[in-house]
Amino acid sequence: MITLPEECYYIIFNNLRPRLKNLFSCALVNRYWCRIVIPILWNDPKDYLKDIRLIEILLLSLNSNEQILLIPFKISLPNYQKPLFEYTSYITNVNDLLDLGIIKWLRYKKYHLGRELANAMKSSLVVMFLRTSKNLSCLTLNEIICNQIIFEKLYENSNVTSLDLYNVSDDFKSKTINALAKLLYENPTLTSVDLFDNKIDIEDMKEVKH
Amino acid sequence: MDNGTSNSASENETITLKSCDGIEFHIDARIANRYTLLNNWNGGESACIPNVNGKVLEKVLEWCEHHINDPQLNCGDDDSRRRNTIIEEWDENFLSCDQDMLFEIILAANYLEIKPLLDLGCKTVANMMKSKSPEEIRSAFNIDNDYTPEEEEQFRKENEWAEDY
Repeated sequence: MITLPEECYYIIFNNLRPRLKNLFSCALVNRYWCRIVIPILWNDPKDYLKDIRLIEILLLSLNSNEQILLIPFKISLPNYQKPLFEYTSYITNVNDLLDLGIIKWLRYKKYHLGRELANAMKSSLVVMFLRTSKNLSCLTLNEIICNQIIFEKLYENSNVTSLDLYNVSDDFKSKTINALAKLLYENPTLTSVDLFDNKIDIEDMKEVKH
Repeated sequence: MDNGTSNSASENETITLKSCDGIEFHIDARIANRYTLLNNWNGGESACIPNVNGKVLEKVLEWCEHHINDPQLNCGDDDSRRRNTIIEEWDENFLSCDQDMLFEIILAANYLEIKPLLDLGCKTVANMMKSKSPEEIRSAFNIDNDYTPEEEEQFRKENEWAEDY
């Protein structure tokens, strides 16, 4: 077979989206194809974050600092060998289906379902995404996990352009308005913060900060 | 000197292109106006297009001539054009050639920056892969599997979530 340059394969494989099964098959053809397919396959898995098999792989990416958040809950994390790729580095979008995936994973593993445990898992995964996902541009968070650790990571992150916060109370909004203003000030790449029903105007927020 | 880049090329104007194996083609100047790289080799006595042989260049120019009146798309339309998997009947027949020729056309379109033909070729190859198992794809494109069994198993485990979607 005549070998094509990588950019041609990239166009070919992009034509196979959104059927991930086709991409999966192509990645298994040989190593060269696999290296080109993986970034496409993992680019936008947000609709599948509810799948416990995906959650299992995401949990493999937690480093020791992120695992510390889970120690009080005595969770036994998957213990496979090091993944073939840093899959999470390709992810561009994390939405609230992550919550559903976490709850399904906890149920499957027969852990006692508590909000604290689910929130701790989401916190550690979000911190991991903010560390590893070099192309993460959209992130959905809820009020509970929007804590100081997450804000600190968001200050440093220069990729996220859109942040959606859902299930937020007025109380939360007033308490975190300074943190959000600081976030917008420190993070010039962020262009949209959606507080569920109230979209914050970025320019107004910047004025609050000044 | 007029190098043929003017947008006002008329229907009767022709330019001469030579393939890397020395075959000359006299084509409508409007084609070279659409695909600027073709202009680089316009008319020169000794100039020839490297890397593209006469057989392939003939096919590429046949496609360009057929699509001479197509509307030109902006770069911003790239994604939508690529996602559209429908291929016109004429194009489908045009690319119903042997696999080597199909790949040669893709290579030439990429080299000559003829984007619509590049997309069309890539779309055709993608359609040949759809709903096939890895083994079927390997055999269709004559590719060797260089995974170790352990690697293949690990890859399946890490990506099995994608197999169902």
